[in-house]
Amino acid sequence: MAKLGTKKPDDFSKEISAQRLKSSLWYAIITVLILSCFLVPLQDGNLSFMFSLMMWVTLATGINFIAGFTGYMPFGYVAFYGIGTYVTAILVKVLGVSEYLAVPAAGLSGILLALLFAPTLRLNGIFFAIVSLSLAVVCQRLMSLLPEEITGGSHGLNLGVATDRTHGYYAMLIIMFVALVSASWLGRSRLGKALKAIRDDPDAADAMGIHVSRVRLYAWIMSAFFAALAGGAQAWFTGALDPITAFDVLITAKTVIYAMAGGLGTIIGPVVGTVTLVWIDEIVWQQFPVLNNFLLGLIITLLILFMPRGVVGSLMQRFPHLRKYIM
Amino acid sequence: MNTILLLNGLVGGVIFGAIYALIGCSLNVLCGVLRVVNFAHGEFIIAGSFLSYVLLTLFGLHPILSLPIVTIAFFLIGFGLYYLLIPRLAKSDEPETSSFLLMFGVSLMMIAAMMWIFEADIRAVEFSFDPINVSLLVIQDAYGEGRDGRVIVPTARLVALGINALLIIVLTYFLYRTLTGKAIRAAIMNREAIQIVGINIHSLSASAFGLAAALAGITGVVLAFVVPSIDPNGGQDISLIGFIIIVLGGLGHPVGALIAGILFGLVEQIATVFLPQAAAQMLGFIILIIVIFVRPQGLMGRMTLR
Repeated sequence: MAKLGTKKPDDFSKEISAQRLKSSLWYAIITVLILSCFLVPLQDGNLSFMFSLMMWVTLATGINFIAGFTGYMPFGYVAFYGIGTYVTAILVKVLGVSEYLAVPAAGLSGILLALLFAPTLRLNGIFFAIVSLSLAVVCQRLMSLLPEEITGGSHGLNLGVATDRTHGYYAMLIIMFVALVSASWLGRSRLGKALKAIRDDPDAADAMGIHVSRVRLYAWIMSAFFAALAGGAQAWFTGALDPITAFDVLITAKTVIYAMAGGLGTIIGPVVGTVTLVWIDEIVWQQFPVLNNFLLGLIITLLILFMPRGVVGSLMQRFPHLRKYIM
Repeated sequence: MNTILLLNGLVGGVIFGAIYALIGCSLNVLCGVLRVVNFAHGEFIIAGSFLSYVLLTLFGLHPILSLPIVTIAFFLIGFGLYYLLIPRLAKSDEPETSSFLLMFGVSLMMIAAMMWIFEADIRAVEFSFDPINVSLLVIQDAYGEGRDGRVIVPTARLVALGINALLIIVLTYFLYRTLTGKAIRAAIMNREAIQIVGINIHSLSASAFGLAAALAGITGVVLAFVVPSIDPNGGQDISLIGFIIIVLGGLGHPVGALIAGILFGLVEQIATVFLPQAAAQMLGFIILIIVIFVRPQGLMGRMTLR
């Protein structure tokens, strides 16, 4: 970066090869991830575990679009996920729509909700966090207030045997794939660069001719879209939902922690963070069911205090030459 | 008949409002001095209830007598937590948003710890005053011949209101008439300037954290008077109400929070008379969202953060 303006042809070729290295590392990671997830049902593996792994990867990648690329911290991110589960379940159970249509419809409902909540993007810092959290609570209360024939009230809905777990599993796989491809596109696209510019200095970005509020809105919508899709696939896979778990603040919390542990603002970070922590969750924390949430809280606290940029971000800060390999 | 319901709602509104006022006030002391929005505030309050519960069941100490112990214990905890958490937090890129997440982590740990010690059951606090209820007002023949309408309040709630009123007076005196209180208000107005006049910002902030924690603990004890059951999972709802209050009153504005708290209590309790409970609870959030868009500096806020 420092050599700007005095570039020799050599530097250009170096830069291009670095770019290639970056993307090949990233594509290697997602190929391994997707292949291993693809093969699990064929080998009678632990379907539920791999499903939750894919769901968290999708959610962490989704929250990265808004939290990592614009610096907004949506504490009510779970609202989009919850609305996705509800739209899917209502379409399937009440209206008898096929899941293959219900889940994309859930994604659309996420976009609509994001547009409805778009005015909150005017708020900054802590106001945004508080309002976002409150909106999620409003959604939750609304779902339990609506007539029982539609949302099932406070008991929620049970899809029972109407859904096929394996199909739900592969739907999640496709959603994760699309989310990861979108992330890698965003990492290199004009939009991604504009977002990073806004995050670092909104006034300067505005002066450079970036339409700040529109670009932020795109990130917000993408973020909501993937959360709603993940929620839809979750409803398909588990076949049951209720307002308390569908809008649980812990879902936002886990998403943030996973993304943050890896490194918000990088493409690779949330994926690495999620895969690592979900595995640790499976192997270690299940041994201590009572202390599970305590450890979760401890990890958030330690992350914020000692590694706010996550593993990938901190590595990049300490060893700047690693930037070559990290997307 | 409607008048009686309304009067009951009013009395309840003042009682709950005074509690909300305390919650908002302690949150705003933290928010104003430290720029920390305490997600774990509800858990501090629940922990206060539990401490007085433990003192009651183990030593038979009446909750009123446990107030000084809770105050001192929570002040020390808050004072220590400041040095443990905040100086490091200040170094991060976005201290405000990070503080929200940080305190969320603390709140998760506190819930887990309380669940571990007290298990997931809701505990009943067993103590009573004599007489159990006080009837404030009797309206003759309200429901027809010989059936009087009464506005009845449990004595414990009246005692809670008394303690709250006393606390609010002491707190206002402290903030406006004592040197430390004035320093705290000055720190809220301009954190940099008071360091120039020679105030040690770290010890002042630690005291503010201690004060906020102590107030939260007291609120917990008083809350057990009003709602005599303690739920280890109830903290989050309390924190959310606290957020509504501080936004209504103006972020970092302790006195604004007092007024907003009482107003909110009145609105909520009167709404419960006429609306289903879930709808009445939603009303709070809707007020919050409207206020943030129409008047982000809060109802009485002169200052905004940033």
